[in-house]
Amino acid sequence: MVAGGTFVGIMVNQRLLAPSAFLSLRDVPGLDYLEANGELRLGAMTTHRSVELSPLVRGGWPALAQTFGVVASPRVRNQATVGGVLADADHASDPPAMLLALGARAVARSVRGEREVPIEDLIVSFYTTSLARDELLVEVRVPGRPHRAVYRKFRSRSHEDRPCVGVAACRREGELRVVVGAVAERPQWFPELCDPEGDPDAIGRAYAEAIDPISDVSGSSAYRRRVIAVEVRRALEELG
Amino acid sequence: MKINFTVNGRPAVVETRPDQMLVDVLNGLGCASVRETCGIGVCGTCTVLLDGEPVSGCLLLAPLAHGRAVTTVEGLGGEDPVQIAFAEAHAFQCGYCTPGMVLASKRLLEENAHPGEEEIRLALAGNLCRCGSYVKIVEAVQRAAERKEDPWTS
Amino acid sequence: MTDSRVTGSARYAQDAEQPGMLHARIVRSPFPHARVGSIDPTAVPAGCVVLLPDDIRGLGRYGVQVRDQTVLALDRARYAGDPVAAVAAATPRESEEAAALVLVDYEELPAVVDVLDAVRPDAPLVHAAHEVSSSQAAYFGLRPENGTNICHRFRIRHGDVEAGFAAADVIVEETFTTAGAQHAAMEPHACIARWQDGTLEVHTGSQTPFNLREELAGIFALEPDQVRVVCPPMGGSFGAKTFLRTEAIAAALSRKAGRPVKLVLPRDEEWQTLNRHPAVLAVKLGASADGTLLAKQVTCYADTGAYADCGPGVAQKMGFAAPGPYQIPNVSVDACCVYTNTPPNGAFRGYGQMQSAWASERAMDLLADRLGLDPLELRLKNVLREGDRYCTGETMHDIHFAECLEAAAAAIGWRHGRTGKGLSVVLKGMQTPSRAAVEIEAEPDGTYVLRCATTEMGQGAIRAISLLAAELLGVESERVRFPSPDTTLVPYDTRTTSSRSTYMMSRALEAAVRDLGASGGRRGHGEIVDEGGLDPDTGQGVASSHWHQGAAAAEVRVDEDTGKIEVVRLHAAIYAGRVVNRPGAELQNEGSMIMGLGTALFEQVVLADGQVANANLSDYAIPSAADLPQRLTHQLLERQGAEPHGLGETALPPVPPAIGNAVASLDLHVTDLPLTPEVVLGAVDRALGVRT
Repeated sequence: MVAGGTFVGIMVNQRLLAPSAFLSLRDVPGLDYLEANGELRLGAMTTHRSVELSPLVRGGWPALAQTFGVVASPRVRNQATVGGVLADADHASDPPAMLLALGARAVARSVRGEREVPIEDLIVSFYTTSLARDELLVEVRVPGRPHRAVYRKFRSRSHEDRPCVGVAACRREGELRVVVGAVAERPQWFPELCDPEGDPDAIGRAYAEAIDPISDVSGSSAYRRRVIAVEVRRALEELG
Repeated sequence: MKINFTVNGRPAVVETRPDQMLVDVLNGLGCASVRETCGIGVCGTCTVLLDGEPVSGCLLLAPLAHGRAVTTVEGLGGEDPVQIAFAEAHAFQCGYCTPGMVLASKRLLEENAHPGEEEIRLALAGNLCRCGSYVKIVEAVQRAAERKEDPWTS
Repeated sequence: MTDSRVTGSARYAQDAEQPGMLHARIVRSPFPHARVGSIDPTAVPAGCVVLLPDDIRGLGRYGVQVRDQTVLALDRARYAGDPVAAVAAATPRESEEAAALVLVDYEELPAVVDVLDAVRPDAPLVHAAHEVSSSQAAYFGLRPENGTNICHRFRIRHGDVEAGFAAADVIVEETFTTAGAQHAAMEPHACIARWQDGTLEVHTGSQTPFNLREELAGIFALEPDQVRVVCPPMGGSFGAKTFLRTEAIAAALSRKAGRPVKLVLPRDEEWQTLNRHPAVLAVKLGASADGTLLAKQVTCYADTGAYADCGPGVAQKMGFAAPGPYQIPNVSVDACCVYTNTPPNGAFRGYGQMQSAWASERAMDLLADRLGLDPLELRLKNVLREGDRYCTGETMHDIHFAECLEAAAAAIGWRHGRTGKGLSVVLKGMQTPSRAAVEIEAEPDGTYVLRCATTEMGQGAIRAISLLAAELLGVESERVRFPSPDTTLVPYDTRTTSSRSTYMMSRALEAAVRDLGASGGRRGHGEIVDEGGLDPDTGQGVASSHWHQGAAAAEVRVDEDTGKIEVVRLHAAIYAGRVVNRPGAELQNEGSMIMGLGTALFEQVVLADGQVANANLSDYAIPSAADLPQRLTHQLLERQGAEPHGLGETALPPVPPAIGNAVASLDLHVTDLPLTPEVVLGAVDRALGVRT
């Protein structure tokens, strides 16, 4: 199944994927749209670039537009899609953490019907979702209602590096969500640690303690832990 | 499978394997400026414009270009203001990354006629230049932007 | 109408084609050290050609300084990536698939992957004995230590360091390290080999056509004029495309197949082909209370990987640059080139002098701190000046270290406050001895053709040398043609390395133009030889016929919560002597600085059990346009009547220590490159530990 094809392209080039055929969603009607009516609805084939530049998203969900806008390069953003980035479940991707913080739900469709899957239930592990084999991700729904959100992307090496730590934070109607991405197999959200009146520093330290981060070329587990505490605190300070 | 698309304004009909990437097909059609060197879409030497938007030729399955218009630097004719600005600013050393840089810069200026230095750096961050010509590349883009503004030369 | 690089019509070695050519792929050992047993190619489709150890067993050994390599690994693979077989097929895809079908039996052996482990008495040996090469590139006396992993040891002994330290009021001692790096030229290694009537012809991206000719002739038992090497422009090199890389494998396959064979390396194999020497440098520096340097002792180890390549030369340069551009009456240097079971390390922009500059310039700041002196004043007090003698005994001429240093300091407002600022000054040698020759042919139509072995890799050699020729001939540069070097058509030149070509060719051209005039105007030949060299046991002699000189200054901010460094300002002041091709010179400065930035902040080859763990352009980070410092500036210091001074590399070595010294000015003690945020955070923790 090919949406934008960037992830599939990498897998094919690395010889990790050698299917006998591809099914492209490019010309399937009714998957590429971006509309808002209270909540934001993004068709699965909407590109990152469309979300980044959309006046609708920038107006109503500015942090989401910004998050899609810090992914990789304009080339990747022209090709990669909203549905693809969720279905790939690459732990280092930026959008999933922000979508989770915003309380988004993915819509999965099959011959058996449609169901809504909150992002936190969608991404299960490295490159693994809870989608059934016959399900297609067709839409992402992001709640409207007044909210404030920020996304911080911490790179430890070059500007083009995959993030070492990503933090998404959102306040909506007295609720606070903090989600840390790029540090573990799935976006890290601990509702019990998200006291809306909590001290940013305390929440940061609590998140750092709660997560067992990965080690890779962008940073060791111990280093990521240090940065999680700092970046969560900074996200909350920025959020206000 | 057979795909048709246009390359630099000319129709192309190509027999391709489903898993062949666009860069491969374009090389076969004589567009040698489109180069693959990283295979993971990070270096930008395979940049082409697909219906005017930059994409990585090494990550686009060729069939996904069916019915689309592809532009490579060969299609700019050497007369494009961005190419001229790059040549005047001497914004290259070995030149391997230059076709991708030119296409990315061209698109940037279409979207943003007056990019600041920081905006140019961010927009071109996905096109790697190991020779380190970035300072002059930024100057070239600024020069091209000014040129476009100047009624005497645009 | 405009430059071919901008129109997309530029062609590189990678684009070369020959009718009937096959495409090659190398089969490589996955183990850092293993006995190679049977190789079973039976699953490879008919129509492919397979190169096996027995096909090359009778061929000559090679290695430009130590003769330690065979065309394929024979009996033992010495690094993860060591070629053990190769296949050629009709398409690159088929050769890739065929290579995966070659079954190789390995028996793993104990491996040594750390340079300090490799010099221990109980270390497994990568090579038991070290046969010195007689090639043109073995231009100094080699000192291999058989029965150890040390394939060359270079020494400087000047004065009496023990007495010097005894007289010193202050001594600082520290050990510094630098990580390996990958050249990451945008064009990978690419060559085509074919045989014509007993002559081997190789089209390859290479900086060293004549060294290559010599190596290939030795391997295949040919006369030099039975080997033809043609070098088209390269899409970058930075030292990667030097000496013998993949050409012998392509040539052996071509001979077996009876057809031309093209070999282009896939990106990940670049890390398995050549990288930069990681190094460990222990420095002891003694001075009197007023800042006069009295003694310096340096012991350094250059990790050359499984095959020496030009590692001995790199270690030697690392050694003779280790004292830094200073007057020091007592100097002792021991530089060792050490084998490990890792991919070979070789020429890399800076050639050992980035590593020694890091250690030397960081040590100077440690000393300044201990003495309570301004780091600029400490340097100016001791820096070499015109007519001084270096610790090699040679007299320094056309010397401008102080000028470079003052210019760099002024650029960042050094005298207005030093917090977050750092300086460095470096000396770099140029290949000595060396030879350069060039021929000029006058065409009937009034144009001139240059027969010159200098190769183009983006540094602007074609432009600079054409400009020089045009100026001497009194014509416009459009009347001068400079075809790609072909060893059957161009006279001998040592090689296009160590930033020597503009300088050497300018002198060779002067001689050629004089000869052209004197001989009737049809053909002129000019040759120059620069003598020199150092005694490897004492380090005395002439290290360099002229010196590359530069200084850098950096202003940084450090986020002490994450360790991330922001380089606010970076400036390099490089002595150019006479600038020939100004845009080219500026680009070389800018490019070197940016590469230095990568070395300083995040570039490193990561090994896991001897295998490269980050062999792609995402896991190995190189600077992007968005990584430029807020302000990056540089200057070319010129002098009326001066000779062109090479500057293809000079602005790289001073950048990491300028940044490191800037970080250190914030009380963050750093000794290892790269200065990743994790490393810097460690320094922050230590600093806080000291304070509380």
